[in-house]
Amino acid sequence: MKLSFSAADEQFREEIAGWLRDNLCGEFEEIRFRGGPGDEHMYVEERKAWEARMHRGGWTCIGWPREYGGRAASIEQQVIFNEEYARAGGPGRMGHIGETLTGPTLIAFGSQEQKQRYLPGILRGEELWCQGYSEPNAGSDLANVKTRARFDEDSQQWQISGQKVWTSLAHESQYCFVLARTDPDSVGHKGLGFFLVAMDQPGVEVRPIEQLTGTSEFNEVFFDEAVCSAQDIVGLPGEGWKVAMGLLGFERGVSTLGQQMLFQNEFDEIIRVARENGAAQDPAIRQRIADAHVGLRIMRFNSMRMLSGGGDDGSLQKEAMIYKLYWATWHRNLGKLAMDILGAESEILDAGPYELNRLQSMYLFTRSDTIYGGTNQIQRNIIAERALGMPREPRG
Amino acid sequence: MDFTFTEEQLLFQESVRDFLFNEVTPERIRASWQSDTGREHLLWQQLTDLGLVGMTVPEEHGGLGMNEVDFILLAQECGYVALPEPLVHTALVAVPLLSDLGGELAAQWLPKIAAGQAKALVGLEQNLLVEDAHVADLLLLQRGDAIYALTPEQVSLRHNESVDPSRRLYGVDIPADAAPAVTGDIAVDLTGKTLNRGALGAAAQALGLAQRMVDMSVQYTGERQQFGKLIGSFQAVKHHMANVAVALEYAKAPVHRAAYSIAMDEVRAGRAVSHAKLVACAAANLAAKNSVQVHGAMGYPWEVDLHIFMKKAWALANTWGDAGYHKARVAQYIFSDEAQLGAVGTFS
Repeated sequence: MKLSFSAADEQFREEIAGWLRDNLCGEFEEIRFRGGPGDEHMYVEERKAWEARMHRGGWTCIGWPREYGGRAASIEQQVIFNEEYARAGGPGRMGHIGETLTGPTLIAFGSQEQKQRYLPGILRGEELWCQGYSEPNAGSDLANVKTRARFDEDSQQWQISGQKVWTSLAHESQYCFVLARTDPDSVGHKGLGFFLVAMDQPGVEVRPIEQLTGTSEFNEVFFDEAVCSAQDIVGLPGEGWKVAMGLLGFERGVSTLGQQMLFQNEFDEIIRVARENGAAQDPAIRQRIADAHVGLRIMRFNSMRMLSGGGDDGSLQKEAMIYKLYWATWHRNLGKLAMDILGAESEILDAGPYELNRLQSMYLFTRSDTIYGGTNQIQRNIIAERALGMPREPRG
Repeated sequence: MDFTFTEEQLLFQESVRDFLFNEVTPERIRASWQSDTGREHLLWQQLTDLGLVGMTVPEEHGGLGMNEVDFILLAQECGYVALPEPLVHTALVAVPLLSDLGGELAAQWLPKIAAGQAKALVGLEQNLLVEDAHVADLLLLQRGDAIYALTPEQVSLRHNESVDPSRRLYGVDIPADAAPAVTGDIAVDLTGKTLNRGALGAAAQALGLAQRMVDMSVQYTGERQQFGKLIGSFQAVKHHMANVAVALEYAKAPVHRAAYSIAMDEVRAGRAVSHAKLVACAAANLAAKNSVQVHGAMGYPWEVDLHIFMKKAWALANTWGDAGYHKARVAQYIFSDEAQLGAVGTFS
């Protein structure tokens, strides 16, 4: 056990901190601390430009292997990168789905051709991705996807038809990875394929969903014989579920660190408000703040425990599995804490029409945290059945 | 950065787990409730022979000279069986305090402790009572900014019953003319360190207790049927256990981090300890609450073993600083000028 960073790590810290100091300024000053969860619709063009700047500095996809343009950064370096990025107020990353989900998935499961075709665009921060998993009737029961993929012998292309929903950033993305049924007679997780589909084509329509925050980060995506080349299926027809689940594994890896740093910034903002309006003197509020602080540290330590290979001490590798339930619940509580610190003031909007302040927006957004990416209830089923080995519930 | 334990540490944990699980059975614990002292000389000798009692005693005093990180997994195993003997207290609290006091006191007592021939127990004002004072050969007692090192003959003991029948608790009266071993800043500093070590020991045991209650509940709900189905298959039952699993798994890293923090003598060890104590005891108390619930009516009888673990968890949560104390300590840090919040400071 060694809970500190090496001298070489600290040197890396100097490097990234210095680069951020020199670059996250001027034209980018206004997007500092912006564009995070609940704020993703803001400053889209500026944040795209920021992705390009990040790429020029060599700071996109730092965890990728060198042969694909990454830095093969160690876990320690990725921790440090995320710390410094958040400290500097680095904006919400437009390219995060490509960098943390599509990229690692293609590196693990993709063909040479797919890697050559798609990884550079992600690396440059120019090609953005969205995730086509959920459907109106495939939410918690994700394996119930009905979107069909039919291989058209004449054109030698896949044709995709169906509807996806809750698709973040679909309106900004060039590509979508789509889970679709290749075998029309199949049910459940068999007979699925994992497709790389271009968004800019006649067969794809994106409709934004207005959320209770009054903003739209999610969309419905309609596919009507949208085409996808024969080379753009990852794995074989019928192997889609394996790829889709592999991708979700990446979602729970290093990418958790960046999220925690954003949480830390929110927490700091809450502390600032509590000091300012006197709520910090209220013993009940102080206890809840202490709880929130402890929860944040727990997430940080557990990510690092998991990433350094801990948690294998005879017990189950549960960290990855339990993280979603933990952070979502923690974040929802943080939102409520923020509102309770604001007190009666929490109801008052900054301006019309429906202009929420950062904390109000955060609070409302956190109501979705315990739902998207697997509801708390589904997570508890998974934990009880897979981690604890409890009997499976009867399913139709 | 490395959050893992060595192969050696894990193997030792495994052998200690096997020993404790086979020897310290619920039947044996129940028998101890009926005995005069509630403690067994034979068991203490076995724990000594395994190297556990003298593990943290410095080598020059006949021990193994190991630290809190080495002992922490073993403390969890002590919790798993609800070990009544004051092993965690000895290795994590009494021995380090004696080592810090040093001099004649350490030279006189540490070799005897390492050999299993004497027990030293610690009483801080933070705890209402001193556990196991009746079997102590030496009592290290804090009063204000003084620490006394006294033999049982020099004090008078008042027995108190505990909600946990495994615990023997005593009020200790120090005669007015007793001379303290240390006073002033040194005593205050040692008191703080001792509280941290006690809280760490309680937190580690809480992890083991929580795990035991989860294991018992998973087993029970995987055997008991209602409506023609195993009750563990029902979401209303399994979600209780999933919540415990999350709380428990996520309490481990803070406890290990706190052990490291104390072993490295970090300046902010107190904060790491408060984190650990809060979340580990919360996990154990949640495990107790939910385990009793999923056992249904079988969670309630005295004959069912669950309450052995539940009551120990309850008692530990309130010793070495209760939740209110530790939360206040964390909050005080957050609002202090020295607080290092912000994204940086992963290990601060």
